[in-house]
Order: sequence, then C-alpha cells, then structure tokens
Amino acid sequence: MIQSTEAPWAVEFAGFAKSYRPTWTGRRLSAVESLTLRLAPGQVLGLLGPNGSGKSTALKALAGLIMPTRGTCRVFGHAAGSDAARALVGYLPESPQFSPHLTGREFLEYCAGLSALAPAEAARRVDEMLQWSGLGAAARQRLGTYSKGMGQRLGLAQAVLHDPPLVLLDEPASGLDPQGRLDLNRLIRDLAARGRTVVFSSHLLAQAEEVCDRLALLGQGRLLAEGTPAELLGARRPAAPAPSRLEQLYLEKLREND
Amino acid sequence: MTDARHNVPAASLRRIRLIARHTLGEALHQRLILLFGVTGAALVLGSLWLRDFNFGGAELKFIGDFGLGVIGLGGTLLAALATAHLFFGEITSRAAACVLTRPVRRWEYLIGKFAGVTALLTLFVLTLALVLAAVLAGRGAQLGAGGVFLQACALQWMKLTLVAAMTMLVCSYAGSVLFASCAGLLLALAAQLRGFSGGGNWSWLRVWPELGLFDAEALLAAGHPAAAAWLLRLAAYWAAYLLLFVVIASHAFKRREF
Repeated sequence: MIQSTEAPWAVEFAGFAKSYRPTWTGRRLSAVESLTLRLAPGQVLGLLGPNGSGKSTALKALAGLIMPTRGTCRVFGHAAGSDAARALVGYLPESPQFSPHLTGREFLEYCAGLSALAPAEAARRVDEMLQWSGLGAAARQRLGTYSKGMGQRLGLAQAVLHDPPLVLLDEPASGLDPQGRLDLNRLIRDLAARGRTVVFSSHLLAQAEEVCDRLALLGQGRLLAEGTPAELLGARRPAAPAPSRLEQLYLEKLREND
Repeated sequence: MTDARHNVPAASLRRIRLIARHTLGEALHQRLILLFGVTGAALVLGSLWLRDFNFGGAELKFIGDFGLGVIGLGGTLLAALATAHLFFGEITSRAAACVLTRPVRRWEYLIGKFAGVTALLTLFVLTLALVLAAVLAGRGAQLGAGGVFLQACALQWMKLTLVAAMTMLVCSYAGSVLFASCAGLLLALAAQLRGFSGGGNWSWLRVWPELGLFDAEALLAAGHPAAAAWLLRLAAYWAAYLLLFVVIASHAFKRREF
C-alpha cells in the first residue's frame, strides 16, 4: 500500500501479538500471532474470519482496551490506548447493552459530555447523530424498549458522535435483519464518504465485499490474506454471492407485502 | 483529518461528575438497591415495636443503637454489593468499553464510579437518619443537643465510604461481581475486627483501617459530642485511607484489560 511518508498510517500493526492466560495456573493461549497490517486514512477495512480468529482482539488493541504482548499497535502514529490515540477513536463493542432507563437522547448526551464536546456542539452533534442513525423518532424512548437493530444503530451513533477520524466496529451486523444490515452498510459508506477511516469485523463476507476498500482474512490469530476485494477475489469477482441475492429476494418480498 | 476537536482534553471534574451522576442513576434503578433502602427504613421504624426487647437498657438508647446498627450493617452490605454491582454491570454489558475508549482517563472513570457510590451511600444514610430522627423525636428525644446524633450519622457515613473504597480496590482487578462483593465484605469484616488483632501473628493487620473507630454507639451512650481534635484526627485517618485505596485501585485499573 503506497502512503505518503509525511502522513501517518491511520492504523498500523507491526508484529502485533496478544496472548492470554485464561486461568492463573493455565498455559497462555495465543489470540493473535505477529500481525503486521497498515491502513491509510479514509479507507474501510474489513477484518474477516471465524470465531476465535483474533478479529475482536485486534479491534480492542486499536481501541486501547488491551495491550500487546509483543509488537506495536498505532493509531495515526500514536500508541493505541494513549490519551492522544483515544481522542481519535470511536468504538462500538460487540453486542453492547446500554443503561435501559436512559432515553436514546440522554445516552448520547452522556457520551457527548464524556467526549469533551462543548455543550452547544454536543447538543448539535446529538441531534445530528439521532437523525443520521435514523433514531430521531425514538430519541425519547427508553433504551430498554429498543430493538436489537435500534441498539446497534445507537451504538454506531455513540461511536461517531465526536466525529473521530477512526471508527472501530466489532461485529456491527451481529443480530441485524437484512434491512438493518443494509442500513448499516449505508452508514459505513457514509462515514467513508466523509473521509473517516473505518475498521470493522464481520462474519458476513457479502457485506464486507460490498463496503470495504480493503479486506484482511484472519484465521487462528494469523493474517491469511490482505488486499482490496478485487485483488483477493480475482477471477471470482463477477460471481454474485448467493447470500446477497437471497437478501435481495427477501427484501423484495417484504416490500411486496408492504 | 484531525482537528482541534481531537486534541487530548485535560483531566476534567465535569467528566467525573457525569460518570458519578450516571452511576447514581443506575443505582437508583436497581431493585436490589432500592430494597436495601426500603428494608432499612422499615427496620428503623420497626425499632418502635422491638423496644420491649431492650435487655434492660433505656428505651431511647435502644432505639438509637438499633437504628445506627441498621445504618451500619445495612450500609456495609449496600456499600460492598452496590460498588461491585455498579462496577461490573458496565463491564459485562460492554458499556464501559464505550466510555473507556473515549478521552476519559481510567482514574477519572474509577473516581466517578466511586463518587456515584458515595452519593448513593449519602442518600442511604440521610434517609435512614431522617427516619431514625423522626422515631427518636416521636419518643421525646432531644436530638438538637450538641449535635451528637449528627456526629454519629457522619461517623457511620465515613465508615461506609471506606467499605466502598475497599470494595472498589478489589473490583479494580477482580474478575467477577461475586468475588468482588464477597472479598469487599470480608475486608470490611477484617477492618471491623481489626481492634481485636492484638500483637503476635496478627500484628500485620494493623496496616488495615480500623472501622471500629467509627462506631457511634459509645458517642450516643456518652450523650455529649466528641472532642473536635479527636474528630479531626479521625477525619484525617479516614481521608488518608480513602486516598490510599483510590490511588491503588486507579493504578491497578489502569493496567486492566477488557
């Protein structure tokens, strides 16, 4: 990947490895082994792989929630987890559950306050994000009454509330219905169009192919392949993936029913 | 890509206050915590019916001792359980990850949580103290005399905040709410019994705070307020241990992975 020597990489793993000791006496288990990966600003990277392949670990390292056992992990040239790096990151964890007694607006206002946004800007951004995520009508509803899809959209809204240059999404499509996935794709593409760098993990290959500039395939903590969808798919590119066609059919039928 | 909005914000009392308010809001929506308040108030009121079992003591002394005992024992249970529950609730729901990946320093988060629990304990002590004051006044006690009653309640409050700080210290590295609440209660018990440690093999226990110093029964029995110098020494003792626990907990929490 060609990158100017002046601007830092949005994301840079260099020999990153992470291992855990699940119990005090147990032996260490490796979650990620020597991952080296770079992403230029403004690109969308999809981390693909089965459960336990190290996708979430890599995202958590970028978010500063875990520290590398070996190697480094940097965000716009800053060590991940440092104060400077966290100011540049928005993060959506996998299947988060937010305080059920808060309304969508109250929750975003809380997040805006923590993000050190000035009160006037915070109010403006909360309104913007509620509209952007399609939750404007549900803004005064308690989070306990939100559906899974609404919860994910709220999670995405809190991740981009402070307009971070790097957005990290851990399994954002988890539990979403086809319409929810399409909405999610639209939101990710919109972030990319605004010049934001997005890194997300997914099991959904069709979704990744559709929205990603680059893909990284992980397996058992190792990087198996990395490149643009065209580079990775090569001659197989023209064949439309079956799940996408099924999703289209499903949506057509739903629309007919409406 | 990055602009002034993404500068590292300075440490902020506003963020601590936001986290504290959020924690208190969470606490007041927990049924278990509300049950503590209602049961405590009911028990203090119940002292009116239990005064026949006064083992020969004066009626007002029995009601006062019983009421302060409820505040002390119920508050100790509440301090340990609520601290552990409120701390781990956000971790297991992954909402903490959304907070800690923002420009929120880990010590700010921890102190915010502790301040929220302290606010909850303040409400608990205030509520039960008001009920107890009403019961005592109803039986003809002169509560205004010298502020003994206020001093006794303040001592109870200081004791409970120390229990919460001990539990927070355990939470900063513990892996489960069960372990943290049990360990917090055991540490509180050790601190309560610390006065009996004597010398020999148990002399090392003297590094641990002595919660018995905050017991208010002797104060009530004496019937006159404690000397200001003694109260100041006790406040300094309390503040020193509180600071020590919060500093160690912040240090441990800084290294914690999610």
